[in-house]
Amino acid sequence: MLAVKSAVAQKDLLSIDEHNKYIYYQVVPQPGLTVDTFQNRTAYFLKTNYPKNKVNKSELPESITGTGKLLMLTGISAAKHIDGEVNYTFNIEYKDQKYRYWLTDFVFTPYYVDRYGNSVPQPGIDVPLENGAAKLEKGQLNNYSIQISNYSKQFGDRLKQYMLMVSAAPIKSDKKKVITTKDW
Amino acid sequence: MKKKFLLLLLAASAFSYASKAQDTVKTTADAPLVLYGSVDTYYKDDLSGHANIPTSFASDNNSVSIGMIDLGLKKTVGNASFVGELSFGPRGQEQSLPNSGNYHIQNLYVSYNLTSKLSATAGYMSTFIGYEVISPTGNFNYSTSYLFTNGPFQNAGFKLTYAFSDKVSLMAGIFNDQWNAYTSQHDVSTFGAQLTITPVKNWTAYLNVATGPTSGTELDLTTAYQITTAFKLGLNAATFSPSHYGGGFSGVALYPQLAVSKVVTLGLREEYFKAKTVDAGSTYVLAGPLPGGSVIGSTLTANIKAGPLTFIPEVRLDNVNKKQYSTFTDSSLAPTASASQFVLAAVYAF
Repeated sequence: MLAVKSAVAQKDLLSIDEHNKYIYYQVVPQPGLTVDTFQNRTAYFLKTNYPKNKVNKSELPESITGTGKLLMLTGISAAKHIDGEVNYTFNIEYKDQKYRYWLTDFVFTPYYVDRYGNSVPQPGIDVPLENGAAKLEKGQLNNYSIQISNYSKQFGDRLKQYMLMVSAAPIKSDKKKVITTKDW
Repeated sequence: MKKKFLLLLLAASAFSYASKAQDTVKTTADAPLVLYGSVDTYYKDDLSGHANIPTSFASDNNSVSIGMIDLGLKKTVGNASFVGELSFGPRGQEQSLPNSGNYHIQNLYVSYNLTSKLSATAGYMSTFIGYEVISPTGNFNYSTSYLFTNGPFQNAGFKLTYAFSDKVSLMAGIFNDQWNAYTSQHDVSTFGAQLTITPVKNWTAYLNVATGPTSGTELDLTTAYQITTAFKLGLNAATFSPSHYGGGFSGVALYPQLAVSKVVTLGLREEYFKAKTVDAGSTYVLAGPLPGGSVIGSTLTANIKAGPLTFIPEVRLDNVNKKQYSTFTDSSLAPTASASQFVLAAVYAF
Protein backbone atom coordinates (compact mmCIF):
# COMPACT_ATOMS: atom_id res chain seq x y z
CA MET A 1 0.00 0.00 0.00
CA LEU A 2 2.81 2.35 0.96
CA ALA A 3 4.66 1.44 -2.19
CA VAL A 4 1.63 2.25 -4.32
CA LYS A 5 1.18 5.60 -2.55
CA SER A 6 4.84 6.39 -3.08
CA ALA A 7 4.63 5.48 -6.74
CA VAL A 8 1.60 7.74 -7.26
CA ALA A 9 3.36 10.58 -5.49
CA GLN A 10 6.47 10.20 -7.65
CA LYS A 11 4.44 10.19 -10.84
CA ASP A 12 2.70 13.39 -9.73
CA LEU A 13 6.03 15.21 -9.67
CA LEU A 14 5.55 15.88 -13.37
CA SER A 15 3.33 18.83 -14.31
CA ILE A 16 1.97 20.17 -17.58
CA ASP A 17 3.43 23.44 -18.89
CA GLU A 18 1.89 26.14 -21.08
CA HIS A 19 2.83 24.14 -24.21
CA ASN A 20 0.93 21.09 -22.92
CA LYS A 21 4.17 19.26 -22.31
CA TYR A 22 5.20 17.31 -19.27
CA ILE A 23 7.69 19.24 -17.18
CA TYR A 24 9.60 18.85 -13.95
CA TYR A 25 10.03 22.43 -12.73
CA GLN A 26 11.61 23.84 -9.58
CA VAL A 27 12.63 27.29 -8.34
CA VAL A 28 15.24 27.19 -5.60
CA PRO A 29 16.18 30.22 -3.44
CA GLN A 30 19.88 30.25 -2.67
CA PRO A 31 20.78 33.34 -0.68
CA GLY A 32 24.33 34.59 -0.93
CA LEU A 33 25.19 33.19 -4.36
CA THR A 34 25.78 35.16 -7.53
CA VAL A 35 25.20 34.25 -11.17
CA ASP A 36 28.90 33.49 -11.70
CA THR A 37 28.95 31.05 -8.82
CA PHE A 38 25.79 29.34 -10.02
CA GLN A 39 27.28 29.00 -13.47
CA ASN A 40 30.55 27.47 -12.27
CA ARG A 41 28.86 25.04 -9.97
CA THR A 42 26.33 23.98 -12.62
CA ALA A 43 29.09 23.29 -15.14
CA TYR A 44 30.91 21.14 -12.60
CA PHE A 45 27.67 19.40 -11.64
CA LEU A 46 26.95 18.43 -15.25
CA LYS A 47 30.51 17.38 -16.00
CA THR A 48 30.67 15.18 -12.92
CA ASN A 49 27.20 13.63 -12.89
CA TYR A 50 26.00 13.69 -16.47
CA PRO A 51 29.12 13.49 -18.65
CA LYS A 52 27.16 12.09 -21.60
CA ASN A 53 24.66 14.94 -21.68
CA LYS A 54 25.07 17.43 -24.49
CA VAL A 55 25.28 21.04 -23.38
CA ASN A 56 24.21 23.68 -25.87
CA LYS A 57 26.37 26.71 -26.42
CA SER A 58 24.65 29.69 -24.90
CA GLU A 59 25.54 33.34 -25.22
CA LEU A 60 23.72 34.13 -22.02
CA PRO A 61 25.78 33.55 -18.89
CA GLU A 62 22.69 33.17 -16.77
CA SER A 63 21.44 29.92 -18.33
CA ILE A 64 22.59 26.48 -19.42
CA THR A 65 20.52 24.20 -21.66
CA GLY A 66 21.14 20.79 -23.14
CA THR A 67 19.86 17.31 -23.79
CA GLY A 68 20.24 13.95 -22.14
CA LYS A 69 18.68 10.54 -22.01
CA LEU A 70 17.80 7.84 -19.52
CA LEU A 71 17.06 4.18 -19.97
CA MET A 72 13.63 2.78 -19.18
CA LEU A 73 14.16 -0.43 -17.26
CA THR A 74 11.73 -3.09 -16.16
CA GLY A 75 12.11 -6.30 -14.22
CA ILE A 76 13.59 -7.36 -10.93
CA SER A 77 16.60 -5.55 -9.56
CA ALA A 78 19.09 -8.32 -10.28
CA ALA A 79 18.22 -8.71 -13.94
CA LYS A 80 16.87 -5.68 -15.71
CA HIS A 81 15.28 -5.52 -19.12
CA ILE A 82 15.78 -2.41 -21.22
CA ASP A 83 12.45 -1.25 -22.67
CA GLY A 84 13.82 1.84 -24.33
CA GLU A 85 15.23 5.28 -23.74
CA VAL A 86 13.74 8.66 -22.95
CA ASN A 87 15.42 11.72 -24.39
CA TYR A 88 14.85 15.04 -22.65
CA THR A 89 16.00 18.63 -22.58
CA PHE A 90 17.15 20.41 -19.46
CA ASN A 91 17.27 24.12 -18.70
CA ILE A 92 18.99 25.76 -15.75
CA GLU A 93 18.71 29.53 -15.22
CA TYR A 94 20.10 31.83 -12.53
CA LYS A 95 19.47 35.16 -10.94
CA ASP A 96 21.26 36.51 -7.93
CA GLN A 97 20.09 34.63 -4.85
CA LYS A 98 18.10 31.99 -6.73
CA TYR A 99 18.07 29.59 -9.62
CA ARG A 100 15.49 27.52 -11.41
CA TYR A 101 15.65 24.41 -13.56
CA TRP A 102 13.30 22.25 -15.57
CA LEU A 103 13.35 19.00 -17.52
CA THR A 104 10.93 18.63 -20.40
CA ASP A 105 10.48 17.33 -24.00
CA PHE A 106 10.42 13.74 -22.79
CA VAL A 107 10.36 11.44 -25.83
CA PHE A 108 10.32 7.65 -25.50
CA THR A 109 12.05 5.45 -28.10
CA PRO A 110 11.51 1.70 -27.67
CA TYR A 111 14.46 -0.66 -27.85
CA TYR A 112 14.61 -4.08 -29.45
CA VAL A 113 17.20 -6.80 -29.02
CA ASP A 114 19.12 -7.14 -32.26
CA ARG A 115 20.66 -10.35 -33.64
CA TYR A 116 23.81 -9.86 -31.58
CA GLY A 117 21.94 -9.45 -28.31
CA ASN A 118 22.37 -5.68 -28.22
CA SER A 119 19.50 -3.48 -27.08
CA VAL A 120 19.18 -0.82 -29.75
CA PRO A 121 16.64 1.93 -30.52
CA GLN A 122 13.87 1.14 -32.99
CA PRO A 123 14.33 3.65 -35.79
CA GLY A 124 11.39 5.86 -36.56
CA ILE A 125 9.43 5.16 -33.38
CA ASP A 126 9.46 8.24 -31.14
CA VAL A 127 6.66 8.70 -28.63
CA PRO A 128 6.41 12.06 -26.83
CA LEU A 129 5.30 11.38 -23.26
CA GLU A 130 2.22 13.52 -23.88
CA ASN A 131 1.10 11.01 -26.55
CA GLY A 132 1.90 8.04 -24.37
CA ALA A 133 -1.71 7.20 -23.63
CA ALA A 134 -2.37 6.61 -27.33
CA LYS A 135 0.84 4.75 -28.12
CA LEU A 136 1.77 2.86 -24.97
CA GLU A 137 0.01 0.47 -22.67
CA LYS A 138 -1.28 1.96 -19.42
CA GLY A 139 1.13 -0.02 -17.23
CA GLN A 140 4.07 0.96 -19.42
CA LEU A 141 3.16 4.64 -19.32
CA ASN A 142 2.78 4.62 -15.52
CA ASN A 143 6.10 2.84 -15.10
CA TYR A 144 7.94 5.24 -17.40
CA SER A 145 6.33 8.29 -15.78
CA ILE A 146 7.53 7.12 -12.38
CA GLN A 147 11.04 6.48 -13.65
CA ILE A 148 11.17 9.90 -15.33
CA SER A 149 9.90 11.58 -12.16
CA ASN A 150 12.46 9.80 -9.99
CA TYR A 151 15.22 10.68 -12.41
CA SER A 152 14.14 14.33 -12.55
CA LYS A 153 13.96 14.58 -8.77
CA GLN A 154 17.39 13.02 -8.48
CA PHE A 155 18.70 15.50 -11.06
CA GLY A 156 17.37 18.38 -8.94
CA ASP A 157 18.58 16.95 -5.62
CA ARG A 158 22.07 16.50 -6.99
CA LEU A 159 22.08 19.96 -8.51
CA LYS A 160 21.12 21.38 -5.12
CA GLN A 161 24.00 19.52 -3.47
CA TYR A 162 26.47 20.98 -5.94
CA MET A 163 25.04 24.47 -5.56
CA LEU A 164 25.63 24.22 -1.82
CA MET A 165 29.23 23.11 -2.14
CA VAL A 166 31.69 25.71 -0.91
CA SER A 167 34.07 24.99 -3.77
CA ALA A 168 32.36 23.32 -6.69
CA ALA A 169 35.40 22.65 -8.83
CA PRO A 170 38.66 21.43 -7.36
CA ILE A 171 41.32 24.10 -7.64
CA LYS A 172 43.95 23.06 -10.10
CA SER A 173 47.46 24.27 -9.63
CA ASP A 174 50.49 23.33 -11.69
CA LYS A 175 52.89 24.40 -8.99
CA LYS A 176 53.60 22.02 -6.18
CA LYS A 177 53.81 23.48 -2.72
CA VAL A 178 57.45 24.05 -1.77
CA ILE A 179 58.44 23.49 1.81
CA THR A 180 61.42 25.37 3.13
CA THR A 181 63.26 23.94 6.10
CA LYS A 182 65.27 27.08 6.83
CA ASP A 183 62.62 28.83 8.82
CA TRP A 184 60.61 27.06 11.41
CA MET B 1 25.43 -28.02 -18.09
CA LYS B 2 21.99 -26.61 -17.37
CA LYS B 3 22.75 -26.68 -13.63
CA LYS B 4 26.04 -24.89 -14.28
CA PHE B 5 24.25 -22.24 -16.28
CA LEU B 6 21.66 -21.69 -13.55
CA LEU B 7 24.43 -21.40 -10.97
CA LEU B 8 26.18 -18.87 -13.19
CA LEU B 9 22.95 -16.94 -13.54
CA LEU B 10 22.40 -16.90 -9.77
CA ALA B 11 25.97 -15.80 -9.16
CA ALA B 12 25.64 -13.04 -11.72
CA SER B 13 22.37 -11.94 -10.17
CA ALA B 14 23.90 -11.86 -6.69
CA PHE B 15 26.83 -9.83 -8.01
CA SER B 16 24.46 -7.40 -9.67
CA TYR B 17 22.45 -7.04 -6.45
CA ALA B 18 25.60 -6.41 -4.42
CA SER B 19 26.77 -3.82 -6.90
CA LYS B 20 23.42 -2.11 -6.78
CA ALA B 21 23.54 -1.94 -3.01
CA GLN B 22 26.81 -0.04 -3.22
CA ASP B 23 25.70 2.40 -5.89
CA THR B 24 21.98 2.78 -6.19
CA VAL B 25 22.16 5.95 -8.27
CA LYS B 26 22.56 5.43 -11.99
CA THR B 27 22.68 8.67 -13.88
CA THR B 28 24.26 7.77 -17.19
CA ALA B 29 22.95 5.65 -20.03
CA ASP B 30 25.26 2.73 -19.17
CA ALA B 31 23.27 -0.47 -18.97
CA PRO B 32 23.26 -2.67 -15.88
CA LEU B 33 23.71 -6.43 -16.12
CA VAL B 34 20.88 -7.26 -18.45
CA LEU B 35 19.00 -10.53 -18.74
CA TYR B 36 17.04 -10.94 -21.93
CA GLY B 37 15.44 -13.68 -23.91
CA SER B 38 12.23 -15.27 -25.04
CA VAL B 39 9.98 -18.29 -24.90
CA ASP B 40 7.90 -19.42 -27.88
CA THR B 41 5.33 -22.06 -28.66
CA TYR B 42 3.13 -22.73 -31.70
CA TYR B 43 0.47 -24.80 -33.41
CA LYS B 44 0.66 -25.49 -37.13
CA ASP B 45 -1.87 -26.97 -39.51
CA ASP B 46 -0.76 -27.77 -43.04
CA LEU B 47 -3.87 -28.11 -45.21
CA SER B 48 -2.50 -31.32 -46.73
CA GLY B 49 -2.57 -32.98 -43.33
CA HIS B 50 1.20 -33.32 -43.13
CA ALA B 51 4.13 -30.91 -42.97
CA ASN B 52 5.16 -29.65 -46.42
CA ILE B 53 6.94 -26.32 -46.34
CA PRO B 54 10.60 -26.99 -45.56
CA THR B 55 11.68 -23.64 -44.12
CA SER B 56 12.91 -23.32 -40.56
CA PHE B 57 10.90 -23.67 -37.36
CA ALA B 58 7.14 -24.16 -37.05
CA SER B 59 7.95 -27.58 -38.43
CA ASP B 60 5.59 -29.90 -36.51
CA ASN B 61 2.17 -30.42 -38.07
CA ASN B 62 -1.07 -30.69 -36.11
CA SER B 63 0.77 -30.42 -32.85
CA VAL B 64 1.11 -27.89 -30.07
CA SER B 65 4.89 -27.69 -30.14
CA ILE B 66 7.62 -25.68 -28.50
CA GLY B 67 10.20 -23.43 -30.02
CA MET B 68 12.85 -22.66 -27.45
CA ILE B 69 13.69 -20.82 -24.30
CA ASP B 70 16.38 -18.32 -25.06
CA LEU B 71 18.44 -16.85 -22.18
CA GLY B 72 20.95 -14.10 -22.67
CA LEU B 73 23.16 -12.11 -20.33
CA LYS B 74 25.08 -9.00 -21.31
CA LYS B 75 27.08 -6.33 -19.61
CA THR B 76 29.13 -3.32 -20.62
CA VAL B 77 31.72 -1.71 -18.42
CA GLY B 78 33.56 1.16 -19.99
CA ASN B 79 34.74 0.02 -23.39
CA ALA B 80 34.46 -3.70 -22.73
CA SER B 81 31.34 -5.79 -23.12
CA PHE B 82 30.22 -9.37 -23.38
CA VAL B 83 27.13 -11.19 -24.61
CA GLY B 84 26.29 -14.78 -23.71
CA GLU B 85 23.07 -16.26 -25.08
CA LEU B 86 21.98 -19.88 -24.76
CA SER B 87 18.88 -21.60 -26.04
CA PHE B 88 17.14 -24.83 -25.14
CA GLY B 89 14.45 -26.44 -27.26
CA PRO B 90 13.99 -27.68 -30.84
CA ARG B 91 14.14 -24.20 -32.42
CA GLY B 92 17.45 -23.44 -30.78
CA GLN B 93 18.92 -26.91 -31.05
CA GLU B 94 18.50 -29.45 -33.85
CA GLN B 95 16.49 -27.03 -36.03
CA SER B 96 19.31 -24.50 -35.92
CA LEU B 97 22.49 -26.49 -35.55
CA PRO B 98 23.02 -29.87 -37.20
CA ASN B 99 25.44 -31.16 -34.58
CA SER B 100 23.57 -29.83 -31.58
CA GLY B 101 23.74 -31.40 -28.13
CA ASN B 102 21.60 -30.41 -25.17
CA TYR B 103 21.75 -26.69 -25.81
CA HIS B 104 22.78 -24.21 -28.43
CA ILE B 105 24.82 -21.05 -28.12
CA GLN B 106 23.19 -18.20 -30.01
CA ASN B 107 25.79 -15.58 -29.21
CA LEU B 108 28.97 -15.83 -27.19
CA TYR B 109 31.41 -13.04 -27.79
CA VAL B 110 33.43 -10.27 -26.23
CA SER B 111 33.79 -6.82 -27.66
CA TYR B 112 36.05 -3.87 -27.02
CA ASN B 113 35.79 -0.29 -28.26
CA LEU B 114 39.34 0.54 -29.33
CA THR B 115 38.28 4.11 -30.06
CA SER B 116 34.95 5.88 -30.19
CA LYS B 117 34.68 4.76 -33.85
CA LEU B 118 36.48 1.42 -33.94
CA SER B 119 35.42 -1.73 -32.13
CA ALA B 120 36.78 -5.27 -32.13
CA THR B 121 34.63 -8.36 -31.54
CA ALA B 122 35.55 -12.02 -31.26
CA GLY B 123 33.53 -15.15 -30.62
CA TYR B 124 30.49 -16.97 -31.98
CA MET B 125 27.90 -14.56 -33.28
CA SER B 126 24.61 -14.40 -35.08
CA THR B 127 25.39 -13.99 -38.75
CA PHE B 128 25.55 -10.57 -40.33
CA ILE B 129 23.90 -12.00 -43.46
CA GLY B 130 20.18 -11.75 -44.12
CA TYR B 131 16.96 -10.22 -42.82
CA GLU B 132 15.63 -12.91 -40.51
CA VAL B 133 17.17 -14.46 -37.40
CA ILE B 134 16.80 -17.52 -35.17
CA SER B 135 15.25 -15.64 -32.25
CA PRO B 136 11.46 -15.39 -32.65
CA THR B 137 11.55 -11.87 -31.20
CA GLY B 138 13.76 -10.72 -34.06
CA ASN B 139 11.32 -11.76 -36.79
CA PHE B 140 7.90 -10.44 -37.67
CA ASN B 141 6.72 -13.67 -39.33
CA TYR B 142 6.88 -16.88 -37.32
CA SER B 143 7.75 -19.19 -40.18
CA THR B 144 10.91 -18.20 -41.98
CA SER B 145 11.95 -17.42 -45.52
CA TYR B 146 13.82 -19.75 -47.86
CA LEU B 147 16.62 -17.19 -47.95
CA PHE B 148 16.99 -17.48 -44.18
CA THR B 149 16.82 -21.26 -43.99
CA ASN B 150 19.42 -21.75 -46.69
CA GLY B 151 21.78 -19.01 -45.58
CA PRO B 152 24.11 -18.94 -42.59
CA PHE B 153 22.65 -18.69 -39.08
CA GLN B 154 25.84 -18.00 -37.20
CA ASN B 155 29.52 -17.33 -37.80
CA ALA B 156 32.47 -17.70 -35.47
CA GLY B 157 35.28 -15.28 -36.04
CA PHE B 158 36.94 -11.97 -35.39
CA LYS B 159 35.70 -8.69 -36.79
CA LEU B 160 36.48 -5.00 -36.71
CA THR B 161 33.78 -2.37 -37.15
CA TYR B 162 34.60 1.21 -38.03
CA ALA B 163 32.04 4.01 -38.03
CA PHE B 164 32.99 6.63 -40.61
CA SER B 165 30.01 8.71 -39.52
CA ASP B 166 26.57 8.12 -38.06
CA LYS B 167 25.46 7.25 -41.61
CA VAL B 168 28.23 4.95 -42.83
CA SER B 169 30.10 2.11 -41.14
CA LEU B 170 32.11 -0.86 -42.30
CA MET B 171 32.61 -4.24 -40.70
CA ALA B 172 35.30 -6.59 -41.94
CA GLY B 173 36.33 -9.85 -40.40
CA ILE B 174 37.73 -13.30 -40.80
CA PHE B 175 35.52 -16.22 -39.89
CA ASN B 176 35.68 -19.98 -39.58
CA ASP B 177 35.38 -21.93 -42.81
CA GLN B 178 32.00 -23.45 -41.94
CA TRP B 179 28.76 -21.82 -40.76
CA ASN B 180 26.58 -22.84 -37.83
CA ALA B 181 29.38 -24.65 -36.04
CA TYR B 182 31.41 -23.74 -33.00
CA THR B 183 34.72 -24.79 -34.55
CA SER B 184 36.26 -24.61 -37.99
CA GLN B 185 36.47 -27.65 -40.25
CA HIS B 186 39.99 -26.85 -41.45
CA ASP B 187 40.84 -23.20 -40.93
CA VAL B 188 39.64 -19.63 -40.51
CA SER B 189 39.27 -18.78 -44.16
CA THR B 190 35.90 -17.10 -44.72
CA PHE B 191 36.14 -13.38 -45.31
CA GLY B 192 33.10 -11.38 -44.28
CA ALA B 193 32.24 -7.73 -44.66
CA GLN B 194 29.24 -5.52 -44.11
CA LEU B 195 28.83 -1.97 -45.35
CA THR B 196 26.09 -0.18 -43.43
CA ILE B 197 24.54 2.90 -44.96
CA THR B 198 21.80 5.13 -43.60
CA PRO B 199 20.72 7.17 -46.64
CA VAL B 200 18.00 9.02 -44.76
CA LYS B 201 16.72 8.95 -41.21
CA ASN B 202 15.04 5.63 -40.32
CA TRP B 203 16.31 3.88 -43.45
CA THR B 204 19.26 1.52 -43.10
CA ALA B 205 20.80 -0.70 -45.75
CA TYR B 206 23.37 -3.45 -45.25
CA LEU B 207 25.52 -4.74 -48.11
CA ASN B 208 27.00 -8.06 -47.04
CA VAL B 209 29.49 -10.53 -48.41
CA ALA B 210 30.79 -13.82 -47.01
CA THR B 211 33.23 -15.74 -49.14
CA GLY B 212 35.70 -18.55 -48.66
CA PRO B 213 37.11 -21.65 -50.37
CA THR B 214 35.09 -23.95 -48.11
CA SER B 215 32.01 -21.92 -47.27
CA GLY B 216 31.26 -20.63 -50.77
CA THR B 217 30.16 -17.09 -51.52
CA GLU B 218 27.00 -15.27 -50.49
CA LEU B 219 26.19 -11.72 -51.52
CA ASP B 220 23.34 -10.14 -49.62
CA LEU B 221 21.40 -6.90 -49.42
CA THR B 222 19.26 -6.34 -46.35
CA THR B 223 17.41 -3.09 -45.85
CA ALA B 224 14.54 -1.69 -43.79
CA TYR B 225 12.85 1.69 -43.95
CA GLN B 226 10.44 2.89 -41.27
CA ILE B 227 8.65 5.23 -43.63
CA THR B 228 6.09 6.44 -41.10
CA THR B 229 5.49 5.48 -37.48
CA ALA B 230 2.90 2.99 -38.79
CA PHE B 231 4.46 1.71 -42.01
CA LYS B 232 7.73 -0.16 -42.46
CA LEU B 233 9.17 -1.70 -45.59
CA GLY B 234 11.94 -4.29 -45.55
CA LEU B 235 13.78 -6.03 -48.35
CA ASN B 236 16.23 -8.90 -48.56
CA ALA B 237 17.97 -10.05 -51.72
CA ALA B 238 20.74 -12.62 -51.83
CA THR B 239 22.61 -15.04 -54.04
CA PHE B 240 24.74 -17.95 -52.91
CA SER B 241 27.17 -20.15 -54.81
CA PRO B 242 28.97 -23.11 -53.22
CA SER B 243 32.67 -23.52 -53.92
CA HIS B 244 32.30 -26.59 -56.15
CA TYR B 245 29.83 -28.40 -58.43
CA GLY B 246 27.33 -25.58 -58.87
CA GLY B 247 24.11 -25.33 -56.94
CA GLY B 248 23.19 -22.57 -54.53
CA PHE B 249 20.28 -20.17 -54.70
CA SER B 250 19.17 -16.65 -55.34
CA GLY B 251 16.09 -14.82 -54.21
CA VAL B 252 14.37 -11.71 -53.00
CA ALA B 253 11.85 -11.08 -50.24
CA LEU B 254 9.76 -8.00 -49.55
CA TYR B 255 8.41 -7.23 -46.06
CA PRO B 256 5.73 -4.50 -45.87
CA GLN B 257 4.28 -4.02 -42.37
CA LEU B 258 1.48 -1.75 -41.20
CA ALA B 259 0.56 -0.97 -37.60
CA VAL B 260 -3.24 -0.73 -37.55
CA SER B 261 -3.49 -0.02 -33.83
CA LYS B 262 -1.12 0.24 -30.92
CA VAL B 263 -1.36 -3.51 -30.35
CA VAL B 264 -1.95 -4.93 -33.84
CA THR B 265 0.46 -4.87 -36.79
CA LEU B 266 -0.17 -6.65 -40.07
CA GLY B 267 2.68 -7.78 -42.29
CA LEU B 268 3.24 -9.57 -45.56
CA ARG B 269 6.30 -11.48 -46.70
CA GLU B 270 6.43 -12.00 -50.43
CA GLU B 271 9.40 -14.09 -51.45
CA TYR B 272 10.79 -15.35 -54.73
CA PHE B 273 13.41 -18.07 -54.34
CA LYS B 274 15.25 -19.95 -57.07
CA ALA B 275 17.36 -23.08 -56.66
CA LYS B 276 20.35 -23.02 -59.00
CA THR B 277 21.18 -26.06 -61.08
CA VAL B 278 23.88 -28.41 -59.84
CA ASP B 279 26.72 -30.16 -61.63
CA ALA B 280 27.23 -33.90 -61.63
CA GLY B 281 28.80 -35.06 -58.40
CA SER B 282 27.29 -32.29 -56.35
CA THR B 283 26.20 -33.13 -52.82
CA TYR B 284 24.63 -29.71 -52.29
CA VAL B 285 21.12 -29.87 -50.84
CA LEU B 286 18.87 -26.97 -50.01
CA ALA B 287 15.50 -26.55 -48.34
CA GLY B 288 13.16 -25.58 -51.15
CA PRO B 289 12.41 -26.54 -54.75
CA LEU B 290 14.59 -29.03 -56.59
CA PRO B 291 17.57 -27.64 -58.58
CA GLY B 292 16.38 -25.48 -61.46
CA GLY B 293 13.02 -24.74 -59.85
CA SER B 294 11.69 -21.68 -58.10
CA VAL B 295 9.04 -20.95 -55.51
CA ILE B 296 6.96 -17.94 -54.54
CA GLY B 297 6.08 -17.86 -50.87
CA SER B 298 3.34 -15.52 -49.64
CA THR B 299 2.97 -15.16 -45.90
CA LEU B 300 0.40 -12.95 -44.20
CA THR B 301 1.09 -12.43 -40.52
CA ALA B 302 -0.39 -10.44 -37.66
CA ASN B 303 1.47 -9.46 -34.50
CA ILE B 304 -0.96 -8.89 -31.63
CA LYS B 305 0.73 -7.47 -28.54
CA ALA B 306 -0.41 -8.17 -25.01
CA GLY B 307 2.36 -6.66 -22.93
CA PRO B 308 5.49 -8.79 -23.36
CA LEU B 309 3.46 -11.50 -25.09
CA THR B 310 2.91 -11.45 -28.84
CA PHE B 311 0.34 -13.65 -30.54
CA ILE B 312 1.23 -14.44 -34.14
CA PRO B 313 -1.49 -15.85 -36.38
CA GLU B 314 -0.16 -16.54 -39.85
CA VAL B 315 -1.31 -18.01 -43.15
CA ARG B 316 1.15 -19.04 -45.84
CA LEU B 317 0.86 -20.19 -49.42
CA ASP B 318 3.90 -21.45 -51.34
CA ASN B 319 3.76 -22.18 -55.03
CA VAL B 320 6.53 -23.89 -57.05
CA ASN B 321 6.83 -22.87 -60.71
CA LYS B 322 6.52 -26.45 -62.02
CA LYS B 323 5.34 -29.60 -60.31
CA GLN B 324 8.49 -31.42 -61.39
CA TYR B 325 10.59 -29.16 -59.14
CA SER B 326 8.29 -29.43 -56.16
CA THR B 327 8.72 -31.54 -53.07
CA PHE B 328 5.18 -30.78 -51.88
CA THR B 329 2.54 -33.50 -51.69
CA ASP B 330 -1.21 -33.22 -51.27
CA SER B 331 -3.42 -35.02 -48.76
CA SER B 332 -3.17 -38.26 -50.76
CA LEU B 333 0.63 -37.85 -50.93
CA ALA B 334 0.53 -37.12 -54.68
CA PRO B 335 3.04 -34.51 -55.92
CA THR B 336 1.64 -31.00 -56.09
CA ALA B 337 3.04 -27.58 -56.88
CA SER B 338 1.58 -25.73 -53.92
CA ALA B 339 1.37 -25.98 -50.17
CA SER B 340 -0.43 -23.93 -47.58
CA GLN B 341 -0.37 -23.77 -43.82
CA PHE B 342 -1.81 -21.94 -40.84
CA VAL B 343 0.27 -21.17 -37.77
CA LEU B 344 -0.70 -19.70 -34.44
CA ALA B 345 2.30 -18.87 -32.29
CA ALA B 346 2.87 -17.11 -29.00
CA VAL B 347 6.18 -15.46 -28.16
CA TYR B 348 7.01 -14.04 -24.75
CA ALA B 349 9.94 -11.63 -24.68
CA PHE B 350 11.79 -10.49 -21.58
